[in-house]
Amino acid sequence: MYMKKTITKMNKPKLRRRLFHIEKRVNRSAAGNGLLFTLMAICGVFMALPLVMVVNNALKPLDELFQFPPKIFVRSPTLENFSDLFVLMSDSWVPFSRYILNTVIITGFGTTGHVIFASLAAYPLAKHDFKGKNLLFSMVVLSMMFSWTVTQIPNYMIITWLGINNTYLALILPATAYGMGLYLMRQFMEQIPDSIIEAARISGASEFRIFWQIIMPNVKPAWLTLAIFQFQTLWGNTGYLFLRSEELKPLQYAMQFITLGGVHRAGAAAAVGFILAAIPITFFLICQSNILETMTTSGMKD
Amino acid sequence: MELTKTAKAVKPPKPAKPSRLSLSQKQAIKGLLFISPFVVGFMIFYLRSLVMTIQFSFSDIEVIDGGYSSTFVGFKHYIHALAEHASFKQDLVTSIMDMVVDVVLIIFFSLFMAILLNQKFRGRTLSRAVFFLPVILNSQAINTAITMARQMMMGGMSPVSADVAEAAAVGTVNVMYYVYMFSDLGLPIGLLDYVIGAVTRINSIITASGVQLIIFIAALQSIPPSLYEVAKIEGATPYETFWKVTFPMVSPLIVTNVVYSFVDSFINSSVVNLSYETIFRNLNFALGSVFSLLSMLVVCLLLFITVSIISKRTFYYN
Repeated sequence: MYMKKTITKMNKPKLRRRLFHIEKRVNRSAAGNGLLFTLMAICGVFMALPLVMVVNNALKPLDELFQFPPKIFVRSPTLENFSDLFVLMSDSWVPFSRYILNTVIITGFGTTGHVIFASLAAYPLAKHDFKGKNLLFSMVVLSMMFSWTVTQIPNYMIITWLGINNTYLALILPATAYGMGLYLMRQFMEQIPDSIIEAARISGASEFRIFWQIIMPNVKPAWLTLAIFQFQTLWGNTGYLFLRSEELKPLQYAMQFITLGGVHRAGAAAAVGFILAAIPITFFLICQSNILETMTTSGMKD
Repeated sequence: MELTKTAKAVKPPKPAKPSRLSLSQKQAIKGLLFISPFVVGFMIFYLRSLVMTIQFSFSDIEVIDGGYSSTFVGFKHYIHALAEHASFKQDLVTSIMDMVVDVVLIIFFSLFMAILLNQKFRGRTLSRAVFFLPVILNSQAINTAITMARQMMMGGMSPVSADVAEAAAVGTVNVMYYVYMFSDLGLPIGLLDYVIGAVTRINSIITASGVQLIIFIAALQSIPPSLYEVAKIEGATPYETFWKVTFPMVSPLIVTNVVYSFVDSFINSSVVNLSYETIFRNLNFALGSVFSLLSMLVVCLLLFITVSIISKRTFYYN
């Protein structure tokens, strides 16, 4: 009897571990883990609350939207707001699909262009030696300090000087040369061991091939992260400074005008908030689930 | 005629000219080819606007029909900003103090969260998304929608918001009570300021660390698993594994994140706001340019010092 008791006692923690799939750690207790995750959950709830509000508001009928005291969660969900939005959009000046096309063009080209150009430029900065390398790099870091809001006037003059005012290029070209991407990519590329690159060079790979087949797969987490940032930035761009033709304006612009409509557009505005938030979040989820462990040193024997 | 032709054809081809470039020069040229598309864009869009802003800062700008006219006035605006302007220096100092407090906390918080979120558990992509939400939700239209929703939640009436403000004010009084209590205990007021600042800004700190969190996660993902295997085989405790494997491997990205946090909190700081107001409300282009240039210089200096201190302790794999 006594023996049996001790045996069950000894087995108990192991059993619990098996039930909750908690890996045995030497110096972190299950309570500690629980505490950490509670802390994380509290922070997470704070972060998620605005989104929960956006989603629920989009589904609320008008009387619930104006209810006081307010409720966070929707009681009788409807898609009324979305149909309102649809009606509102169907008699807009330019067909609604045009706004979507504009956003897709600006965001798509801006994001891919930025990721490709920034990575191309970051590779020599991280792995080659040439004169002026450090000067160039510090100029890029300096330029990030330079707030966009302050340089609007010079920017406008440059865009006009280039003759790309009121075209898609006015948004796409500056986005491809933004300093943050170069900085981020260089920091990640610097961590790739030189010996892999040397091995490829000895095997006769061209520089471009090294870049495309060795560097880029190895910094996949970095460029997916960069794509997330850039997508987010361009998605939120209303382009009000450079795009004047109505048929060139992006979705964000059209949506902003609906939300500025005030109280009588409240339902449609709630739906707008939902749509604007949903797409970057989806993009983020796709990118994040594609970030897999990359094994930088897997081909090495030091 | 034919003979000469055949003779020409038979003539052995000239030996290839020995290249006058050394290997390292060739490498440099290839490197420049890689860089050039980015650098051209960078020079046109960013360097040029920097140069133009510097030009603005040294001159009096007047808007005339069809453009602007500028006359060179030397350091006039700089002297005005530093010696005469009412709030520039205060704004600059406050912005920098806030920035220093925020950056330290952001780095700690995001590294901590990144390590938690990098562990394997169900719904981990989703919980990462939750922490990236503030970055996503930070766009004009969504902000307007949220503000509107908040107004509706408050009933859209001013008396209610006044009530809320009053309640918040009561909250501040309570905080001050604790401040007095602790300073009575003999804690230095500087430390108290720091802690209070951190506590009252906790929400903005969490909100501001979305990008840094993602960068840290990417950094943690690029640590080769074999290093952890070795550590495990050698019998390292998780504590040792963190300090000997994880921390050195993410340390280059700590520098990155420090730089990013500095940039991010500087761009949203009150001094940048001041220069924006000066340019677009008061239409004083020159003085606004001076504000942004001076504050940029100070922040760059601060950044340079911080980064060079951290870089000495940074571990590079190569």
